[in-house]
Amino acid sequence: MNGPSPRMGRSLLLLAPLFLFLIGFFVWPLFSMMSQAVSDPAVLRLLPRTADVVGEWDRQSPPSMPMQTALMDDLKAVDDDQALGDMVRRLNSARSGFRTLMSKTTSALSDAANPPPDLVSIDKRWEKPEFWIAIADALSPLTDRNLLAAVDLGRNAAGAIEHLPADQSVNRVILVRTFWIAALVTFFCACIGFPYAIIAASLSGWKRDLMLAAVLLPLWTSLLVRTAAWFILLQEQGLINDFLRAIGLIDAPLALIFNRTGVIIAMTHVLLPFMVLPIYSVLITIPKNLMPAAASLGAPPMRAFLRVLLPLSLRGVASGGLLVFISAIGYYITPALIGGPGDQMISSIIAFYATGSANWGMAGALGMVLLVATLLLYSVYARLSSDEPGRR
Amino acid sequence: MPMKIAKFTFALLTILFLVAPLIAILPLAFTSSVILTYPIPSWSLRWFEELFFADAWRRAIINSLIIGAGTTLLATVLGTAASLGLRNRLFFFRGSMRTLFLLPMVVPAVVLGVGMQVLLARFGLINSYAGVIIAHTVVAVPFVVVSVTGALAGIDERVELAAQSLGAPPVTVFRRVTLPLAMPGVLSGAVLAFATSLDEVVLTLFVAGPNQRTLARQMFSSIRENISPAIAAAAFLFIAATILIGLAVVLSRSMLAKRTRPAAS
Amino acid sequence: MAEFIKFDRITKFYGPLCVVENLDLSIAKGEFVSLLGPSGSGKTTLLMMLAGFEQATSGKILLDGAAINDVPTHKRDMGVVFQSYALFPHMTVGENIAFPLQMRGIDKAETAARVKQALDMVQLSALADRRPSQLSGGQQQRVALARALVFEPRVVLMDEPLGALDKQLREQMQLDIRDLHRRLGLTIVFVTHDQSEALTMSDRVAVFNKGKIEQIGTPREVYDEPATRFVAEFIGETNLVEGVVEAIDGREATVRLPNGAHIVSAVSAGVAAGQPVYLSIRPERIDLAEARGEARNVLETEVTDSVYQGDHLRVQLQNDAHPLIAKLGRRSREFAPGTKVFAAFSAGDCRVIAP
Repeated sequence: MNGPSPRMGRSLLLLAPLFLFLIGFFVWPLFSMMSQAVSDPAVLRLLPRTADVVGEWDRQSPPSMPMQTALMDDLKAVDDDQALGDMVRRLNSARSGFRTLMSKTTSALSDAANPPPDLVSIDKRWEKPEFWIAIADALSPLTDRNLLAAVDLGRNAAGAIEHLPADQSVNRVILVRTFWIAALVTFFCACIGFPYAIIAASLSGWKRDLMLAAVLLPLWTSLLVRTAAWFILLQEQGLINDFLRAIGLIDAPLALIFNRTGVIIAMTHVLLPFMVLPIYSVLITIPKNLMPAAASLGAPPMRAFLRVLLPLSLRGVASGGLLVFISAIGYYITPALIGGPGDQMISSIIAFYATGSANWGMAGALGMVLLVATLLLYSVYARLSSDEPGRR
Repeated sequence: MPMKIAKFTFALLTILFLVAPLIAILPLAFTSSVILTYPIPSWSLRWFEELFFADAWRRAIINSLIIGAGTTLLATVLGTAASLGLRNRLFFFRGSMRTLFLLPMVVPAVVLGVGMQVLLARFGLINSYAGVIIAHTVVAVPFVVVSVTGALAGIDERVELAAQSLGAPPVTVFRRVTLPLAMPGVLSGAVLAFATSLDEVVLTLFVAGPNQRTLARQMFSSIRENISPAIAAAAFLFIAATILIGLAVVLSRSMLAKRTRPAAS
Repeated sequence: MAEFIKFDRITKFYGPLCVVENLDLSIAKGEFVSLLGPSGSGKTTLLMMLAGFEQATSGKILLDGAAINDVPTHKRDMGVVFQSYALFPHMTVGENIAFPLQMRGIDKAETAARVKQALDMVQLSALADRRPSQLSGGQQQRVALARALVFEPRVVLMDEPLGALDKQLREQMQLDIRDLHRRLGLTIVFVTHDQSEALTMSDRVAVFNKGKIEQIGTPREVYDEPATRFVAEFIGETNLVEGVVEAIDGREATVRLPNGAHIVSAVSAGVAAGQPVYLSIRPERIDLAEARGEARNVLETEVTDSVYQGDHLRVQLQNDAHPLIAKLGRRSREFAPGTKVFAAFSAGDCRVIAP
C-alpha cells in the first residue's frame, strides 16, 4: 500500500459508525462490567483525605501528623454507618484488632466536647505501622476478592489464597452444574443431531427440504414461544403426562417441569438446530461417491462409516458441539422458566447478583468467568470453522 | 430394509420432537378456559381480546413495535455501511473488524446485560427507549452484517467494473448496481434484526424500565408469575409471524440467487 | 467365448423413467469392453448395477455363472475407478491403497509390500505419504487406479476415469491402462462417452443409445461396419446419403441416389431391394481427382470450401443432390472453391444402413 487511497478512506468512513457504536455500547459495557469485578472503591470513598497523604508514606516509619489528622477528619465526616461497618470488617480481616480499635476511635472522635489532639492519644496502637499498612492496602481501588470469590476462594488474614468455608462455597457448585448441564445438552444434541444430519444429507428433493425445514422452523421461532410450548407440554397436566397415562405407561404424573429433566429436554430442543446445521453443512461437502468407493473396496457399511464418513464429518460435529456448548453455558431464560431452584445456571446467579442484591462486584466477577470461558471456546470454534483443512 | 425403516422412524421422531411443541401450543390460543391445558373446553377468542385490549399486553405489543422498528433502522444502517466497508480486501484489520462485528452474537446475554446496565445508567439512558434500542441493536447488528456481507460476496465485481467502464461515477455505480444487487441481503438482514429485537428478553430485563416492557418481556414474566392462555395467543402470533418472515427470507434468498447467477448461455 | 460376466435381460427404471431396457451383454474373462454412448444412454447405470450400487428392476447379472444381484457391493470383489476418483481425502496415498487390503484382513507386512508394489506400478512411490489434495489430477487418477487394482479384483470397472484430464495426459493414460490390461490379464468394463477413447483401448465396444445397445463389436467393426445410423454418426464423422436399394448381390448392394446416380456398396443382411436406405461414406475414404478414374463409385462434384487442418485437408463438396465432406491426406494438393472434381470410393468403403 502506498498512502491512503480514496478507496481506503471510503472504507474507513463506512466502517467507523458501527465500529464506534460497538466500542461504546458493546466493548465498553463489557469492560465496565469487568472493572466492577476488580474494583472496590468503598474504603477509598470513605477516606479520601487519608488517601491523599498515605500515598507519600514510606510504610515503615510511624504515622506522621498529617496522616493522623486526615484520618480523623475522614472518620468524622462518615455519615454512612453501613459503609463504615463494611470498611471495618474489611480492615479487621486484614489486621485483627481493628474492630476494637475503630470503635474506640470513633466514639472518642464523636465526643465533641473533648476533641482528641491526635489518634495516638486515643490508642497507642495507632503508632504501629501495621494498622496503617492495612488502611493503605484497603485504599487501593483494585481487588481480586470478587474474582476469587467467584471460584470460592478467598484470602486469609495472612493474605494467602485459600478455599472459602463450605457454607460460603456456592459458586463452584453452580459453575460445575452449568458445565454439567451444558455437557449433557451437547451430548444429547450430538446423539440426535448427527444421525439426523446424516439422514438429511443422504436424501434429496422434498424429503431433504422437509427435514431441514423441521430444523429451521424452531430456530426461527421465538425462544420464549418455544419455552412456553415446553412449559405447556411438560406440566403436570401437560400433553406428555396425559399421553403417557393414556397409553397406561404411568399411573401418577411424572415430574417433568421445574427440575433437571425439563431443563435438559427444553434446552436440547432449543439448541438442536445448532448441532444439525454445522454437521449438515460439512456432510454435503463430502463427495457422494466416497461411501460407494469404500463399499467397492470391500468395506462393510459399518466399517465404511467408521473409516470414511465419521472422520470426515468430525469437524462438523466438533463445531456443532462447541456451538451448542457455548450457547448452553450462557443460558438464562430456559432454566429460569423451566428449571427448579437446583437447576439455575451461572447466568441466573449473575442476574441475581446484579438485579436482586445489587452486588455488582460479584455479578461482574462471575460474568468475567463466563465471558472468558465463552470467548476461549469461541476462539476454538472460529479456528475450527475457518480452517479449511487440506481435504477435498 | 430394516435399516431403512430405522432411519425413517428416527427422522420422523426427531421431526416430531422439533415441531410438535410448536404445534401443540397453537390450539390453546383459542381456549375459553383460564388454564393452559388440554382438553380445550370450548373455543373462544377471549385471549386475543386480552392480548389486544388488556393494558399490559397492548402496551407491550406497542413497545415491541416501537423498539423493533428503531432497532431495525439503526442496525440495518450501521450493519450495511460496515459490510460495504468490509468489502475492501486491502483493509488491514478486516478480519479483526469482522470478528468484532460478530462477537455480540457470542457473548452471553446476561454478561452483556450486566455491563450494559452499568454503562447506560452512567449515561442516563437506563429505562429509556433509546437505551433499549441501543442494547437491541448491539445484538441485532451481527445478523445484518452476516446477511449483507453474504449478499455482497455474491456480487460479481466485474459487473461494477463494467458499470464504471460504461461511464458511471462511483456513487452511481453504488446506487444503480451494487445496492440493488445487495438489496435482498439488506432486506433479510433487516428482517432478522427485527426478529432479534422482538425476541430479546435478557437485555431488556436489564436495561428497560416498566415503561419499555416489550412483548417478549411481558411473556417472560407472565410465564414466570401467572401463566395464562394469553401466552398461547401471543405464541400463535409469533409463530404465524415467523412463518411469514421465514417465507420472506427464503423468497429474498431465491431472488438473490436468481439475480446473482450469471446469465445462462 | 466364455461368459465371465453376463447381463441377462436387465431392465432398470428410475420411477417412471426407463434407463436400461431389456439388455443382454456378455463379457469374457480378460476382455476389455467399453460401454460407449451419450450421457443418459444407460451405460453408467449398467456399470453401477454391476458394481452393486444400483439394483436392477428386473433381469439377472451373473458373474462366473453365479447370480450376483443380491450380493452387497463390499462382497463383489470388483475394483471401481470413479469419474472423480473418490479418493479418501483424510487418508494419505498409501492409506488409500492399503484400505481394500485392510478390509480383507491382510496382515501388515503383506499390505505394506503390496501397497509398495502398486505404487511402483503407477510410478508414484515417492508420493505415498501425500494427501490426495496435494496431487495433480493425473496423479490422483493413478492412485485411484492403484487402489482399484491392488486387491486383485475379479473385474475392474471404470466410470469415465479420464474425463477430467487434459488431452495429452488422457492419451498417455489410455495407453498406460491398455498396457496394464494386457500385462495383468484384467477383465475391464470401461464407460466413456469419448469414441476415440473407446476405439483406442477396447477389445470390444458396446454402443449405447436410449437404454439399449445399438451395436457391439471390435473397434474396427463398429467403425467400418456401423449397423445403425446412430452408430455411424456417433462414432467418427460420416457422410450420410439417402437412396433406394435397387438390387442386392451377395454382400454388395446397388443403391440409386435421388439424382439417378448408382452406388455399389457393402451391405449386411436384413436389407431388401426397393427399400429406402442410408449410405454411410467415411470422409477419409473419399479420393478426389480431376479425371474420372477406375473406381467403382464416382460422383461428379464441385468444391465449395477447403480448409487446411494440419494433419489433413478438409474439403466440402456439393453435387446436385448431396453435400459431401472429404478428408484428404496432408500430401494432397489444394482445391480452390468452384473446382469440378470427381469423388471416388470403393464399394468396401461405404455401407448400407437400414433407416
